[in-house]
Amino acid sequence: MSARKKRVSLYDQVKNTLNEIQGSTVPSYQGLHAFWLDPEVFLNASLYGQRLIAPDPNESSGSGSHGATSNGGSCCGGGAKPAADSANDENPVTNPAVAAVMQPPTETFIGDCWPSGGSGGGSGGGGSTNQRSAASAIIIGLKGQYPFDGSIFPPLLWDTDKKATTQQIELIAGWIDAGCPLTIAEEDDAHSGAKSLVEVRNDMLALAHGEKLHKASDAKTNHTTKKSKALHIRKEISNLTPEELKTYRDALSCMYTYNDFWQDERSFDFWARIHTNSCQHGWEQFGPWHRLYLYFFEQKLQDYDDSITIPYWSWSEYADANKTTFNNTQYDLGVLPDAVGCFLTAEGLITLKEAKGANGKSLYSASQISKLESIQKKGTIYNSGLRFLKAAGIPYEIINNNGEAAWAEKVRTVYNVLRKDNALWFPNRWPGAMGNPTTYPTKADIKNLLSLETWSDFGGGPSYDHHFGSLEKVHNGMHNFSGGTNPNYPANNKKWEKIYADLGLTPDMQSQENPQYGWMTDNRVTAFDPLFWSHHSNVDRIWAKWQELHNGQPEELNGVLAPWSMTVGDAMSIKKLGYKYVRHYVHHQVSTDFGLVKFNSEKIKVSKSTLEHHKKLEIKIHRVQRGNLPNASIRVFLNDPNANIDTPTQGNEHFVEEVSLFHGSCYGGPGHCNLPLDKTRLNDHRNIHHHEPRNYIIDATKTAQKLLNDGAKDLTVQLVTVGIHGKPIDNAVFIEGVSLNFLD
Amino acid sequence: MSKAYTTFKIHPGIGFARLGNTEDDFYLCPEQLGELPIACNELGQEKVDANGNLVRVSQFKDSNDLSKIKKQAARFKIFAYSDKEDEVGEEIKIGGTYDFIYETAVTAPTIVKGKVTDIDWTVHLANKKASWYEFQETNGMHGYEPSHPLRNPEVTQPDLRRQLIIDPGPLTVSLKHSRGEFAKFGTDSKKRDTSKFQKVSYPQTFPPSDIKPNPIDTLGSLIVNEQDKHCRLIVLGGNGNSGSTKTPVISNFVNNNGWFDDISDGPVTATIQFSFKQKQYDGKKEKMVTINSSMDVQVPAWVVVGYPRYAPQMQDMITMDEKMYDLFVRKFAYDPQVFGVAPYDKASNSPQTEAEWETWRNDADYNPDYYPKFYKEIWTMLHRPDSYRYSYDFDYFAGSDPHNRGTGGNLDENALSQVPKNGEDPYFRMRQFIYMIMRQTDERNDYVVTNDDWPTNAKPRLMPMLCGNNPLSNVSPDKFLSMTETQLFFLKQWMKGKFVNECEEWNDGDKNCKNPWANPPTTGVGIDRGVLSNILGGAFCPGGEISWIVNNPAIYSEPYRIKHATYLAGALSIPKPIADIDGSNAPNLAEGMEPGDMTKFIGIPWQADFHECTTQDLDVTYRGWNNIYLDSDGDPAQQDIAYDIPWWPAHRPIVVSEGPNSPQVYWASGIPANNAGDLQMVEAWKDLGFLLATGEGIHKAFYQQERNNDALGDPVTPGDRVLGQSIGKSTQETNNN
Repeated sequence: MSARKKRVSLYDQVKNTLNEIQGSTVPSYQGLHAFWLDPEVFLNASLYGQRLIAPDPNESSGSGSHGATSNGGSCCGGGAKPAADSANDENPVTNPAVAAVMQPPTETFIGDCWPSGGSGGGSGGGGSTNQRSAASAIIIGLKGQYPFDGSIFPPLLWDTDKKATTQQIELIAGWIDAGCPLTIAEEDDAHSGAKSLVEVRNDMLALAHGEKLHKASDAKTNHTTKKSKALHIRKEISNLTPEELKTYRDALSCMYTYNDFWQDERSFDFWARIHTNSCQHGWEQFGPWHRLYLYFFEQKLQDYDDSITIPYWSWSEYADANKTTFNNTQYDLGVLPDAVGCFLTAEGLITLKEAKGANGKSLYSASQISKLESIQKKGTIYNSGLRFLKAAGIPYEIINNNGEAAWAEKVRTVYNVLRKDNALWFPNRWPGAMGNPTTYPTKADIKNLLSLETWSDFGGGPSYDHHFGSLEKVHNGMHNFSGGTNPNYPANNKKWEKIYADLGLTPDMQSQENPQYGWMTDNRVTAFDPLFWSHHSNVDRIWAKWQELHNGQPEELNGVLAPWSMTVGDAMSIKKLGYKYVRHYVHHQVSTDFGLVKFNSEKIKVSKSTLEHHKKLEIKIHRVQRGNLPNASIRVFLNDPNANIDTPTQGNEHFVEEVSLFHGSCYGGPGHCNLPLDKTRLNDHRNIHHHEPRNYIIDATKTAQKLLNDGAKDLTVQLVTVGIHGKPIDNAVFIEGVSLNFLD
Repeated sequence: MSKAYTTFKIHPGIGFARLGNTEDDFYLCPEQLGELPIACNELGQEKVDANGNLVRVSQFKDSNDLSKIKKQAARFKIFAYSDKEDEVGEEIKIGGTYDFIYETAVTAPTIVKGKVTDIDWTVHLANKKASWYEFQETNGMHGYEPSHPLRNPEVTQPDLRRQLIIDPGPLTVSLKHSRGEFAKFGTDSKKRDTSKFQKVSYPQTFPPSDIKPNPIDTLGSLIVNEQDKHCRLIVLGGNGNSGSTKTPVISNFVNNNGWFDDISDGPVTATIQFSFKQKQYDGKKEKMVTINSSMDVQVPAWVVVGYPRYAPQMQDMITMDEKMYDLFVRKFAYDPQVFGVAPYDKASNSPQTEAEWETWRNDADYNPDYYPKFYKEIWTMLHRPDSYRYSYDFDYFAGSDPHNRGTGGNLDENALSQVPKNGEDPYFRMRQFIYMIMRQTDERNDYVVTNDDWPTNAKPRLMPMLCGNNPLSNVSPDKFLSMTETQLFFLKQWMKGKFVNECEEWNDGDKNCKNPWANPPTTGVGIDRGVLSNILGGAFCPGGEISWIVNNPAIYSEPYRIKHATYLAGALSIPKPIADIDGSNAPNLAEGMEPGDMTKFIGIPWQADFHECTTQDLDVTYRGWNNIYLDSDGDPAQQDIAYDIPWWPAHRPIVVSEGPNSPQVYWASGIPANNAGDLQMVEAWKDLGFLLATGEGIHKAFYQQERNNDALGDPVTPGDRVLGQSIGKSTQETNNN
């Protein structure tokens, strides 16, 4: 009945494709002739100096970078040697001062770091360049790219009128990127690791029986959520993994490179200007407008890498550290999350060491270099560039550039390096007091905010009764705190009045490089500071939290939130917009190859701060699939590694909850009981499929709090499957994952 | 204006006409390397055979009179390019529709779809030779000393100096006014003129009418024709007349005071007439009105008139196309895959601003991974010397054949075209030998291989063994010719085995794969380069049609285009020392070129230099000196002379034969190799024979035809002496000193 076609190996398909394109006449190909027919030749030979198939990057010298994810900005900053180094060597005075702020102070950008669907119109993909296929002459040649664009060689194949189609090229590229398997067996091997099948099977059995501990996934949070078809998660900025933080920074760095192109949506400044032009403040559209603003910016970031979400800056977390900074008359003492601070990398240190002044001598003195070395070695993170300069013993100096205050070269060079090393750092930022003591929001303040009963109090009034909501008022203060006051501005500092006078400069509050206040304080330019996004992510989170607790909503749900064609009503649900806020997220992938008897996690890696501060702990069981007929329950425990079917649930402080599964038998034609296809069609508006695996969310807050209060230092999770008959059962429950969601 | 207007360009960028002395019988300039000229009718419309192929000319003289050489016309076409990416373009048609800019005194420019109705072509020819400086080899290449001698030095008054320029004024012709004459007002030929602005007077300057032996009252004429709806311009040059205001005597190969000739050059511009329909309102009534307007062709051209090409199919060792290509590759990012900055693609090599150009010129270099094509870029050079055995006898005594292309020869095509395959490279040593004897650009004053590693004591001579830009004087000697830097780079890649034999790859089975120029060009750039490939590209002492000025990047507006200067009618520039007397216009390369500026360096009259450029004995004793005077201080040093080094065997034949079984004879038999012969050449140029090729590939031979023995006597075999004349040898050296 099922007349399945015989499977043809990829390599045979490649050979057939090339044979078909070439036809009957085969030219010399430098004596290789039909090179694709002999794998030895195809894999190793070069055609006029062009390696037909690039060497396997895993086999050649382990340059190490291969482990990095292959999508996203692979070419950003790498590869092309900047031919226009001179841009950095130029006397800073000849640069417009604004460039250092508005543009990436990194090296002059060559090429395109933004991923795309290719150039379109037949020439085939741009996209990622670190794939093996992209470096292979056979692919470059079939696509007709340089040097096979006719400039040195004609496109491949030669001496035939047939051109390869995009699909044919994709097929060959896919084969190369799959490691050039020559047989079906090799294709299949490529998927399994080094372990033998028996070993793998034994491991999986042990895991399914709780005899081995499940490790937490080290994939990016939003890669695991995508895989388990869950909402994207915005995390607290200090809880991003180093890899997540790097991706976010890389995306911003990439966006900075397009800032010269005013209408290019990939440009960071394009997004910052939307705030300048359209932001809503002081009434009920404040929350909804900024929710959509972040949503659209985040969508753009996800074009760069779909794991990116805008992390939130939970102000109150940092309240203790700021006890003495905000409520103070001294400037530039505030503490921000480390992720947005400035620090010196080894590479940055080299740049500074090699920096030469106009006189050709080293820009920095020996003692400054030695301080920089020490800063780099210690890895110290500073909350402002000014504090960094101070630590390095480099005086903050301003010059007169055509009547504008501009950083002296020593300052600019440092700032360029800092910005390159951390795209989240921003030079016009002096967090702390404004010279006018106010309070920093504490946890109690946020709690009070969340306890407000009405939308009017919390979120503000409509246009005909407009007033600030309390959320926005707190938000205002944090804008001012994070931007802060420039200690080196004449109005703030007598000494600087004299410096300006000596330089013949007139103080300009809105100066590009030496303004009176940090840019976060000014709604005209605030979104140019990358901290803006995390600040507003937190505003949005508090509102979302308030929405969970209260029913209030804006008066005018039909108001349109320009420049988008969406309304206030459209902004009411963050879930509909595809995300939620989770302070910290730990995921365990579970195999569905074996029925789950017991799940037993390793110790959950989570910061002490999260263990202390989280408000809620949810355990989510992802995509539960059931065996046919036997119903079952899953019992959830914390910190009870030996839990089994006999472990008591009553009076057991480790016991969280028992969830009962309910379903009957599945009966239908062949394949009826299989999992449904992924829902990919844009216009598929049907309800959730009967056999779509479902999720369970279990509130483990109380259990966890009790254990932690009793002195537990870590958490572990156990699930035990119990058959409907009360006995162990190994073919009733199949799950794809278990995650712990620490919520604020 | 989101939509782009059409860019129009005239092709070829530099066209070449040639002198002749027939009345109306002429042919069109060849547009392919080593190809015969194109036959045409009296209007210049090309002839096509039944198969649609161009008919070629193989008779270069009047069929009834061997003392009448047909002129070669330069033909110009206008191509339309739809946008910046369009590199192919299409020749425009009368009645064709293009996007023109329409602008009036009161409206802003708009883009309209206009229909071509006619084309106004404007050409301005002039001859500045007599008004210019003396040609003194390389001296002047980078500006002239104030004391550099002028031709006709006694004429120092600026207005009189300008009278030495032959300047008939510009002419505008179109389909409606289709004939123009660069003739003196009042002459018979001027009466044929139907050009557009006849009534506008112009302060023409012509030589005195009594110059001898031949007066000059025209520099040529223009014809506009229409063929297959294409409107084309035909430019014809002078009649080959040269004359002197004094008793005609030739005393020097390039500088002869009192003399004039009718060589010329100048800008070619065009304005396209078009019409379009536009809605207009007459009161409240709407009506369609036809509006006539015009638009200048944005990228204009140049025309140069040269002397006859007596061996039209014989390729010069370096063609003008190759000479200019080398410059454009190195200075204008013309082919970044050859010369540029890594990764050598177009995107990385498109400097725009001055600063970007400077950076580019500093950083760019040859691409070590460039693979030249054997037939297009290597063999085209290497096969040439073998053909010179039909215009020059390499070795009178030994009769050896150093350029043999057959099996076992130094230039065995089969061996040299073999690319390394599968790690095997059996012909590497052969290629290496050829590359080692190719003269590098820093060996231009060396006669033999200088490499100390050469295995034997007998060092071979460096190739090409041809005269250089200055084998004559002691100012900046440049004794021998070297191939261009780019050609040497191709050879180096080839020597290393980095080359492609296109005939066994993508052109496999194509019968033209060995001659990439076998088909007439279809693109504008193809025409530009095809035309130049039949022009002499070196050495320049002073050269064939044009001189070393082509090496100066300043004269180009873009690759293959001469930059047009703006100039005052009737006040063309004169040498600076004279111009400064009353503030007249002096030359300004940065501004561009004027009529006459491309040919003014060439010898006057051209016949003198042409006759003398046969062979030269070169003193190779010291690299830095062409002339040494050992006698003057009794220096016992041994003087080394390289004897009989030819100049341009393809441009100025020396020894020819009339058929496979005929003996070799002097081409210029009957005209002695001395100043008297130079003077005789002023008349006898029209009696000389032409060389026509027969056979293909290794069997291609060139034989003389159409020699006027009635005027010159029977040809003389080398070794024979006729009336005490030494025919084969040049006397340039003695002239110069």
